[in-house]
Amino acid sequence: MTRLNLVLLVAVLVSALYLVRTQYESRRLFVELEKTTALSRQLDSDKERLQVEKRAQATPLRVEQISRERLQMRSATPAITQYVTYKNAAADGSAP
Amino acid sequence: MSRSVRYTSSPLLASKTPVWRSKLIVAGIALAFAGLAGRAAYVQVVGNDFFQRQGEVRFARTLELPANRGRILDRNGLILASSVPAPSIWAIPEDVDGSKAQLAELARLLQMPMAELNKKLSNEDKSFVWIKRQVDASVGEKIHALGIKGIYQRKEYRREYPEGEAAAHVVGFTNVEDRGQEGMELAFNKDLAGHAGSRRVIKDRLGRVVEDVREQVPPVDGKDLQLSIDSKIQFFAYQKLRDAVLTHKAKAGSVVVLDSISGEVLALANYPSFSPDKRQSLSGAQLRNRALTDTFEPGSTMKPFVVALALQKGLVRPETQIQTAPGRLTIGGSTISDAHPQGLLTVNQVIQKSSNVGTVKMAMQLQPREMWEMFTQVGFGQKPQVPFPGAVSGRLRAYKTWRPIEQATMSYGYGVSTSLFQLAHAYSVFARDGDLVPVSMLKSADPAVGVRVISEKNALAMRNMLHMVTGPGGTAHKAQTMGYSVGGKTGTAHKQEGKGYADKKYRGFFVGIAPTEKPRIVVAVMIDEPSNGKYFGGDVAAPVFSETVQQTLRMLGLPPDMAVKPQIVTNPVEESF
Repeated sequence: MTRLNLVLLVAVLVSALYLVRTQYESRRLFVELEKTTALSRQLDSDKERLQVEKRAQATPLRVEQISRERLQMRSATPAITQYVTYKNAAADGSAP
Repeated sequence: MSRSVRYTSSPLLASKTPVWRSKLIVAGIALAFAGLAGRAAYVQVVGNDFFQRQGEVRFARTLELPANRGRILDRNGLILASSVPAPSIWAIPEDVDGSKAQLAELARLLQMPMAELNKKLSNEDKSFVWIKRQVDASVGEKIHALGIKGIYQRKEYRREYPEGEAAAHVVGFTNVEDRGQEGMELAFNKDLAGHAGSRRVIKDRLGRVVEDVREQVPPVDGKDLQLSIDSKIQFFAYQKLRDAVLTHKAKAGSVVVLDSISGEVLALANYPSFSPDKRQSLSGAQLRNRALTDTFEPGSTMKPFVVALALQKGLVRPETQIQTAPGRLTIGGSTISDAHPQGLLTVNQVIQKSSNVGTVKMAMQLQPREMWEMFTQVGFGQKPQVPFPGAVSGRLRAYKTWRPIEQATMSYGYGVSTSLFQLAHAYSVFARDGDLVPVSMLKSADPAVGVRVISEKNALAMRNMLHMVTGPGGTAHKAQTMGYSVGGKTGTAHKQEGKGYADKKYRGFFVGIAPTEKPRIVVAVMIDEPSNGKYFGGDVAAPVFSETVQQTLRMLGLPPDMAVKPQIVTNPVEESF
């Protein structure tokens, strides 16, 4: 009888300690998950920010200015455009 | 030696304590236990809810999960507005503890005079002050790296508008709380905003989240909004308009570009405009979306509708001749005159030369009701079906109240008022085969189905007339553009001021379609109070039309429909031996 009780006592102690450990582990993992989620959100918003920045660098105003001033380009007019038609497009009726 | 005392048997030591004393102690202890049990029962059963709640207050927290505001995109998916993180810097003044150099660096990063920073930090009664809201993310990182005690950051979002002032009126803007205030940001605020989510968590001593208490409510991000605007066309339209307003020293101007096949608004620009990021010193003049909120008397641009109606009723044909000499006509005691008196004109020429007398002669054969129906059908006096805040309906009085002279003046665009947007929309009747297309600010894939107003044949006849306006002998040869056939109508109207018309204040405008053979776009241009000598619509507005049409059709990938004389372009190269 006493032996059985001792065994059960040990079993309870072990299980209790294991529970504590598991709880600790689960919280640790949870915190890690939290951190990673936050990081992913951070990266998401960084991506958004960079996209907007990229877009701001490529606004028509800037493109026009740079191509005009730095590359000495001019806007194309029909007078200096060679229009080519190819058969498939002509079949669609989208060519003149 | 001494003898030991026998305690057990000593009569002196025999207990004389009465039994009740020990019983009293036992009873006392029992009572204490009963008290404890009672208290335990109270805590765990009777007052359970209260204590449970009190416990939770101390470790459980509800976190709000903010939803991201949707982006606004143009028809090609380019970003017109998007939210980016922008930390706000705040402080607890009495906790701030940084060296002079650190604070000076902070002031430099925030681009704030040192005195202003000191002033904000000197108010020690307050436990919270904003130092600067919504700074750049990179600045936020640098401030964090400074590590000054008592300076904190709050994560916030700021709206960025890469297109800046070119698209400012269409896109609108949000306030610091991320709520739409103007334009599409306001009109579609509900869709863009989304719903914030929430989660209930347990936090540990250090404030870290250690456990979720219940299911999270995930945030629903706002939907992206894809407009029908093409940012390139928008930019070019804005640029040409701005140049024209500056050249002609005008007060303001607007331009509207409609896709006549789908009914989509490709561009809608106003000048003066504003930069949506820097709104410190905005004036109402800059803020107004004139193309939609300002009404004016459309002047001669109204004439094609009267002619179209006369054609539709079978009163005239395009070749019918009308006597406009001597350039004056008296109706009910008032005289109507032409700026340049003409003789015998065909209906085509009435439009081409923009003769008031010719138009009035046609209008007087029409019933007021018929004219009113025509104007109403093409949308005058009615609010345009676009979700723009502040779009106006213009003014078209009930036909029963029209006096004959009013019917006459209305036929050439006085006594009615309309916005530029309505005017552009109305011209889609001529650009299409006689039906009015429903307009849309959002991108739509399907070709739109319109409501028929005039017959296909008459729409074609009107297109020819409008084309003649831009040809030799017309009022708007400056509307011509290289490679594409165009058609349109000029308008120049005296501005109303108080009760009458201002002496030397005009509005010049031009509404047209292109290419005339198979129209694709309707472009309307309005220049308000040009004051650099020229003020006729054909002089101030038509060139803007021409350039806008040129760029738009090229951008839409339409091949020219007119023969172009090729120009050989060479860069002069210096000869060498």
